[in-house]
Amino acid sequence: MSDSEMPTRPPLFFASSDSEDEDVPMDAEAEPATSERASSPASSRLFSEGSDAEKDPIKKRPILVDSDSDSAKNAARKPPPAKKRRVSPPPPPPSPPAVQLMYLGDLVWGHGWSNVSGKGYIKPGEEVKIKRETVPTKAENKAVAKGKKGGDGKKQMSLAAMLKQPSKTAAAKSKKTDTIVRLYNSRGFQIGRLPDAVSSWVARLLDLDIIEFRGQMVDCPERLTTGCNLVISVGVYMLPTAFQPSKMDTDTNEKPPVMFSEGVETLDEQLLRERKASILKLFDELNLRPTAGANFAQRKSDEEIHDEAMKKMAPAKSKKVTEIVGDGEEIEVEEGEEVTDNDLAMIFQKAQKGDRAMGEMDPPETFTLSLRGYQKQALLWMSSIELGKMDAREAASMHPLWSQYLFPLPHSDGIIDLTADQKPFYFNPYSGELSLDFPKAERQGRGGILALVAHFALQSADETEMGMGKTIELAALIHTNCEPDIDRPVEEKPVGNKHRQLKLSNAFKKVPRKKGAKPPTATLIVAPTSLLAQWESELQRCSKPGTLETVVWHGQNRLDLQGMLDDDDAGSIKVVVTSYGVLASEHAKVDKSKSPLFEVEWLRVVLDEAHACKSRTSKTAKAVYALSARRRWAVTGTPIVNKLEDLYSLLKFLDFKPWADFSFFRSFITLPFLAHDPKAIEIVQIILESILLRREKTMLDTNGKRIVELPPKEVVVEYLDFSSLERRIYDSLFNSAKRDFLRLDAKGLVGKNYTHILAMLMRLRRAVLHPNLVLTSRDEPNKSSQDEEDIDVNELIQRFANDDDAAGANVFAQNALQNLDIPDDDAECPVCMDVMELPMVIPECMHRCCKDCLLTICAKAEEGGKDATCPTCSRGPIREKELMEVFRPPRSSQNPEPAVILRKNDFRSSTKLDALMHNLRFMQESCGNKIRVSARSSFSQFTSFLDLIQIVLKRDHFEHYRFDGSMDVKTRGAAIEQFKAPARKAKVLVVSLKAGGVGLNLTVANHVFMMDCWWNAAIENQAIDRVHRIGQEKTVYVKHFIIAHTIEGRILQIQKRKTAIIKEAFRSSGDGKGDPESIENLKIMFGDEEE
Amino acid sequence: MALPKRIIKETERLVADPAPGITAVPHDDNLRYFDVTIQGPDGSPFQQGIFKLELFLPEEYPMAPPKVRFLTKIYHPNIDKLGRICLDILKDKWSPALQIRTVLLSVQALLSAPNPDDPLATDVAKHYKENEKDAQRVSREWTQLYASE
Repeated sequence: MSDSEMPTRPPLFFASSDSEDEDVPMDAEAEPATSERASSPASSRLFSEGSDAEKDPIKKRPILVDSDSDSAKNAARKPPPAKKRRVSPPPPPPSPPAVQLMYLGDLVWGHGWSNVSGKGYIKPGEEVKIKRETVPTKAENKAVAKGKKGGDGKKQMSLAAMLKQPSKTAAAKSKKTDTIVRLYNSRGFQIGRLPDAVSSWVARLLDLDIIEFRGQMVDCPERLTTGCNLVISVGVYMLPTAFQPSKMDTDTNEKPPVMFSEGVETLDEQLLRERKASILKLFDELNLRPTAGANFAQRKSDEEIHDEAMKKMAPAKSKKVTEIVGDGEEIEVEEGEEVTDNDLAMIFQKAQKGDRAMGEMDPPETFTLSLRGYQKQALLWMSSIELGKMDAREAASMHPLWSQYLFPLPHSDGIIDLTADQKPFYFNPYSGELSLDFPKAERQGRGGILALVAHFALQSADETEMGMGKTIELAALIHTNCEPDIDRPVEEKPVGNKHRQLKLSNAFKKVPRKKGAKPPTATLIVAPTSLLAQWESELQRCSKPGTLETVVWHGQNRLDLQGMLDDDDAGSIKVVVTSYGVLASEHAKVDKSKSPLFEVEWLRVVLDEAHACKSRTSKTAKAVYALSARRRWAVTGTPIVNKLEDLYSLLKFLDFKPWADFSFFRSFITLPFLAHDPKAIEIVQIILESILLRREKTMLDTNGKRIVELPPKEVVVEYLDFSSLERRIYDSLFNSAKRDFLRLDAKGLVGKNYTHILAMLMRLRRAVLHPNLVLTSRDEPNKSSQDEEDIDVNELIQRFANDDDAAGANVFAQNALQNLDIPDDDAECPVCMDVMELPMVIPECMHRCCKDCLLTICAKAEEGGKDATCPTCSRGPIREKELMEVFRPPRSSQNPEPAVILRKNDFRSSTKLDALMHNLRFMQESCGNKIRVSARSSFSQFTSFLDLIQIVLKRDHFEHYRFDGSMDVKTRGAAIEQFKAPARKAKVLVVSLKAGGVGLNLTVANHVFMMDCWWNAAIENQAIDRVHRIGQEKTVYVKHFIIAHTIEGRILQIQKRKTAIIKEAFRSSGDGKGDPESIENLKIMFGDEEE
Repeated sequence: MALPKRIIKETERLVADPAPGITAVPHDDNLRYFDVTIQGPDGSPFQQGIFKLELFLPEEYPMAPPKVRFLTKIYHPNIDKLGRICLDILKDKWSPALQIRTVLLSVQALLSAPNPDDPLATDVAKHYKENEKDAQRVSREWTQLYASE
């Protein structure tokens, strides 16, 4: 029959006569259960208890099927029918509607085939039941019955009714492979099967018990033969069960996501995926299109996504990267697809639209600093989230994961009532969920969980743009919302002066309150070790004295935390600051002994630099998840470092359902993203929209002004040339490395020898900094003072200062010595004819010359195999190490040192060091002593270079401090304190790139020297932003030193390659192999220089 | 390649404060290349003569000596037919503390004090050794012939 006839078809569904059912006792029970749904085209039919067919066949309307009164749920639980052939008896007449069956449309399926032969099974126009069979398929197939011919045309029963519920796991299992959908006549005799193409998805829907198919035979031969063609028309109805929350949402959340391994799809995931796929397929067949919401036009099919994603995963599997998270915890990370800049931009774009118009909120009195406009906005936003008020950013649109569909109007008696309203329903193509209620886009969109779960959010600034005062914002928040819950009885007893002086932490304690169900009031801040002290001091700085009590819980002397927190003190807010390292180690031993960190229920937990726990399998991350808190905040500049999954860990911490469930996250975000489905980004946008407040320095406030006005930043790259000696050392290293690389590359062994090559690169990078960093004492040509470097330079200086009275042999020399301390600033070097920046004295004759020139002379002479001689008087030979530097320490009132000292030239500098010192000296002279300088080198591996920098600083009597990852918290804190302390002398802080990258506030400095370059420019920028951030009032000058014609130029080249911005350029994988991208980068490193 | 500060300074000083009897002017298109004139010192056979020389500062200067050559023919035991000069400071006795000025002054001094024991032009040296008067006469003639205005 043609489609056109369809409308009239419905009448054909008759309730079947009961007669046939008698012989099927078992079925009677089972089948009704599953199948009974009456359908009402008009939308309003209820799920009836099932009366069956008795109704007038012609009224198609509620086609009730056997009924059991049970709700769909019960039905689902029923065991499958034992017998296949018989169908259940007709149910009783429809009872009051419990649920509705929703009409979705009609379909016609050709190519069904019969598996029986004989006459009388069915005739066109008769009802066909479409259902799944539980019985082992083989048996079934054989069982072809030559049945008797069925009766006459009147078998009408409800069709779809017989959905079989996959009952238990075993059954479910077999189902998976078996997608056979069988056709029965109204008397319950099997007459055939649906074609595979159709049954593959129909079977799923039947198994899930969410759709009912009511069939009617359209065309078939009078006499069936095995394999003959059957054409059936089908009315499709959605069962109320479809609108029940899917299992995924409810069950799985309890399981820690770590249980799922990334590569493996869990059973749940698979079910879920199949559900979505089948529903989508059905809609597709029915030609149902979303009328609003997600646009599927360019959406890839779920299967495609899955396949594509799997394809991506497969090669990626082998790639493991070791990353450092938390406090130096190393973890293996599986690589996934990287998120590009564009993706990130899109992701954040949505999350911050409309932020400008956000309201503001003033902090309470106990907070002593004044907030900027955008900080007040942030405060309002955070505060309202914590208190569960409406989101400051209202979002009332449809939940973006959902699409709206309209139920098609059923035809009643062949007439479509156009006046009727089409009822909408909603489908979430990601979860496969269906709903009749409008899915609102709002935080915690999932009902039921909403109530008491923390109020959470991410506050973030862009990776390179820290320093937005997030510490301040959080401090304000801590002051503002210090009460556990709104409904918590306010019983602050204004307290007397009873102070227990037992512990320091008790100092402000007031009358103890009764223990017991005391709501939490304390805040825990978890931060990188380097920032603990800063948090503490910032918190104190912005609080009225006595209103806020901070405890740094770190190191050996951890106080009795519980005791401290229990001693409550109504007048002060308690904040505990600890590090990720402590947290992880406490968590590790939580089984054996209880750790107060995890015992306490916190009012609020704040993760600073929260990307430290971005890897969900790391110990740090697990520890973080284990904290119990009412309110959770994650602060990070990079909620997504390079993979969307980075975000997952934060969501998990925030317990943001349902995304905190890993398989869920993976199905809806990770996999689609891998398959380049644009929806993945959209979903992330939605998630972030409700929980992320993002700020960049460049954002504008309501008045169109930048929210942060920072002084300008001037970045200069100074290209330097190697001295000839350095050049020779470098070139020989480079050439041998290049030879190695080319040899390996030719053999295709680069991947295998990846670590070796990386080591060579490392060596080259060190050679650029200082030859001593690559020369072992063995192959060092003129052994320099490697050993002596440890000697106190001052002592040496002193010794030489005393010695040289005796040194002068001639009159000139004596004069020279006597006049040494006469400042002759204009003295010209006889060689370069320039003012001697760093005069050196030749011990033989006391002639002076600048250091550079003298060293060049020495090098030249050595090259020619001759002895170097004094350029002025040709006396010789002179030896580098006997030369003496005339050094004038920076003068200052408290500096007792002599105006001029001679010191032995026992330290071999390098081009970079010289450049640094040159710049520092220049600044000192031109700008007086008011400038503080933060000189930094990069990268902890080169702490040996930091050592060298410190030596030169010391030689030149600069006040300097050091800050790197190897120092303990106290020492670091002290270094920073001293660096920040006001002084009239210029100060220099030597910072390693890694340690300097996070959180540190160095706004007292305004000059930055980058001593070497790192693959990833973002890391460098982050370091620079330690100085160029809120609080900085002066122009910030940044100078990069780059040695021309070396590997450094190529590093810059790589920095410019887009990929390198996001990820480290040369990652090696766990097995020591490089990925193609990395090898490509290597080729740049060793390629011929294009200039 | 930028001109080292030293060369600029030397040039400035040569112009501002020339050594007596000596001029040195750099070429416009090559500041390392100088046109030099040296007056023959009084009391020498080269008196009254104006000798043209060229002077070139190599890349390594001042670590390496300048290259100096007579363009004017001169009859001198330490200067050969091509104008090359045998002078220790232009070779192994070079010191970076020496300058263009000092070099040229040395050359000028060489004119006053030929050193036939360390000859470059062997025939001239022999002439000077065997018959200094006659040799000086030839020098004077050459000076008149080639080095007068």
